[in-house]
Amino acid sequence: MTKRALVIGSGPGGSVAAMVLAEGGFDVTIFEKGPNYFTNLDSDLPGTVFSNDELKMNRGFSLPDQTAEPRVYRSSPQATPITGAVEALPQTVGGGTVHWDAKTPRFWDIDFKKLSMLGPVRGAEISDWPFDYAEISPYYDRIEELIGVAGDISLFPKTPTLSHAPRTKALPMAPGPPEYSSLVVSEGCRKVGLHPFLAPMAINSRVYQGRPRCNNCGFCSGYGCPILARIGALAPLRDALRSGAELRADSMVVKVNTKGRRVTGVTWLDDRNVAHKESGDLVVLAANSIETARLAHLSGLPDPYDLAGRRVMFHWFSEASGIFLGERLHNYRGRDHTHDIDDFADPDFPGAREAAKKAGLPYFRAGKIELGGTQLPLDEASSYQEVLRLISPQKPFGTEFKQLMRSSLLRDRLCGIELIGEDLPYADNRVDLDPKVRDWRGLPVARITYGPGPSELAAQAFYMPWMIKLLKAAGADVAIAIPELSSSRFPIGQDQVPTTEHVMGGMPMGTDARTSVTDEQGRHHHLENLFVADGSVFPTSGGHNPTLTIMAVALRQAASWLSTG
Amino acid sequence: MTVVHRRSVLKTAGLAGLAVLLPPELLAACSTLASKSGPKGHGFLVFDAHQAKVVEEATARLIPGPHDDPSEKGHPGAREANVTQYIDTMLGALTVVPQKVFAGGPFSDRAGAPIDEMARFLRLTPAQVRGWTTRLSTLRSQYREGVTTLDKMAGGDFTTSSAYKMDEILAQDPGGFMDLMFGHAIEGMYSAPEYGGNGDLVGWHEISWQGDRQPIGYTDKQVSLSDGPDVYVPTGVGKQLLTLLTTSGL
Repeated sequence: MTKRALVIGSGPGGSVAAMVLAEGGFDVTIFEKGPNYFTNLDSDLPGTVFSNDELKMNRGFSLPDQTAEPRVYRSSPQATPITGAVEALPQTVGGGTVHWDAKTPRFWDIDFKKLSMLGPVRGAEISDWPFDYAEISPYYDRIEELIGVAGDISLFPKTPTLSHAPRTKALPMAPGPPEYSSLVVSEGCRKVGLHPFLAPMAINSRVYQGRPRCNNCGFCSGYGCPILARIGALAPLRDALRSGAELRADSMVVKVNTKGRRVTGVTWLDDRNVAHKESGDLVVLAANSIETARLAHLSGLPDPYDLAGRRVMFHWFSEASGIFLGERLHNYRGRDHTHDIDDFADPDFPGAREAAKKAGLPYFRAGKIELGGTQLPLDEASSYQEVLRLISPQKPFGTEFKQLMRSSLLRDRLCGIELIGEDLPYADNRVDLDPKVRDWRGLPVARITYGPGPSELAAQAFYMPWMIKLLKAAGADVAIAIPELSSSRFPIGQDQVPTTEHVMGGMPMGTDARTSVTDEQGRHHHLENLFVADGSVFPTSGGHNPTLTIMAVALRQAASWLSTG
Repeated sequence: MTVVHRRSVLKTAGLAGLAVLLPPELLAACSTLASKSGPKGHGFLVFDAHQAKVVEEATARLIPGPHDDPSEKGHPGAREANVTQYIDTMLGALTVVPQKVFAGGPFSDRAGAPIDEMARFLRLTPAQVRGWTTRLSTLRSQYREGVTTLDKMAGGDFTTSSAYKMDEILAQDPGGFMDLMFGHAIEGMYSAPEYGGNGDLVGWHEISWQGDRQPIGYTDKQVSLSDGPDVYVPTGVGKQLLTLLTTSGL
């Protein structure tokens, strides 16, 4: 008899798991809490209602509704809870890959074997992943082909990028056109001894598997691609559907049902909030770190060592902006940004070891920097609205506002850079259920307790001056840096909800059930047919965008589940 | 990555938080008010004629056009962009079918596509209906109370005040109403015209912005090459902004 698999979440992890299981002969049902904004998902070129529409995205088109489905954030157990859009990733078919600008770096060797290669850090729960870079590397190759990554590995820096993430196979597509602002800032990087390169990204530079090449519309990061030149999770989802999987959008799993050491299926609510039950031989959690942990708590899954939802990691983002008075950089065209530097992800970056020692740490890392990016007119105008309150409090509106809009100092003349900093895993950074706030369905929402430790603070303090330095070297007339603000523990931070949208940890993999939630195959230590296939299983967060790694790990794990039943 | 995007999301997050915590009886009251509002026979969904006039005059002070400020000669503002129409459409978005919250896609007819698919609004999910019902009910009462307050501060009728007096009142930001309305005026000025504002694309033309570009996009050359020198000489408020950034920079 055909075995039934129930996959919870249609994002990058869930779609890969569904593909492997469906192709392996399972009868697969995929539950997606959010709506489906696509048609013909089993075809080469699905249709979509995503568009070049800033207001639509600012109104939260692809996100969980902030009022109906909020989350709660505290920077510490003592801090006042804030209700809001905490790390709100898209909640639609395709999950986070609907809004990503598809940067696909690989994690490094030192991410997978952090404890062995870099050592422990006091106060953090550093551990090795159950596999190393060499073992995951072929899975990276397969995902890069599946979703269509464009890039040229001969242009990657030998040190630190290729020495920590060696590659042998060429990427399936050549890079797309470099963005002018990324070129300008790259030049600044070179002048101060850094190593910019054309970043790999899953955006078509030519027709690929029936989908068109990117036409540089510019509504990229944060936007669904209107022409599907960027497909992400929809590629494995397409393959799952072609192998017979069923996709149920607007369907929220609210409980994983168990009997002894096994799960028996799930309870789910349809869009009218009516409850249904579905039985399965295997259940896969892939709702993202926050919702997977929430579901584990809602279901009361066995957790004898109080580990579920702990060690959640988000990445901290330090931002800097250069303003160029001599020309408009037209940063609104093309792929958000096209160049990265990896120098600050290297624990051996000149001076970093000494700075760590001074801060009482054995080492620290920041992460990659994305070179380029700006804001669109609505966000630009909101910035001036805020600025005018400071510089013109007697009349913070009127012709002055319009003069600023015409100058476009904070859009067309601006080039932003963003540092994606590694978060260490801390037991106190966690997801549990809020005791008061409920969603529109009446269920307790996720409560996130999160703040930085000494490592994050020291790394940010060390690298932020570099961000100013490289922008000045690129010719910026004014350069400013803004640290991560999501916790009052960051300098000038004020307990705003975290919005970096990189969510990892909470159900970490490991070999010891006393210190990890899932085993080396992503199987729950206490439930033999329950698996986790999203970023929850990450024991460490790396200093790079996590999605490619989520997909590669899901691909590695799911193949081993086929014999389960 | 868009540099300030994440922070803009935060601002609305604050509003949403309040709405969730509203007691049920207040929510019920809000929805009663909602059902009372409807077409008023003035071409507006929510505003009565006077409310529309107050919002029109107030937003024209916030984003002035040639009729509102002599220094804006040749530069259309909120009045010319139909910002009041935009705000009314937003406040009444759930009174029409399909709801006017999310414009469709993937293309308008502005960049080479034959039909304007953005003009076909998308049906909301039950969760979205729930959220927008709450938010718009709150906003409608904020507008109702805000207009009343502006009138009161003007000694009866805000619209008969001098421009100077209007500015003076708005600068006090009574109850946060000016700031709220300014945010919406920005949306009405610079968002896609399908939402009711940005009439004749005056908001986009004013800032040399091409808006939605699908399906034509930009050429590789337009992406990779400089457009050439375009020097901005800092004066006035621009200079003040740069000074602020320079002195607050870390």
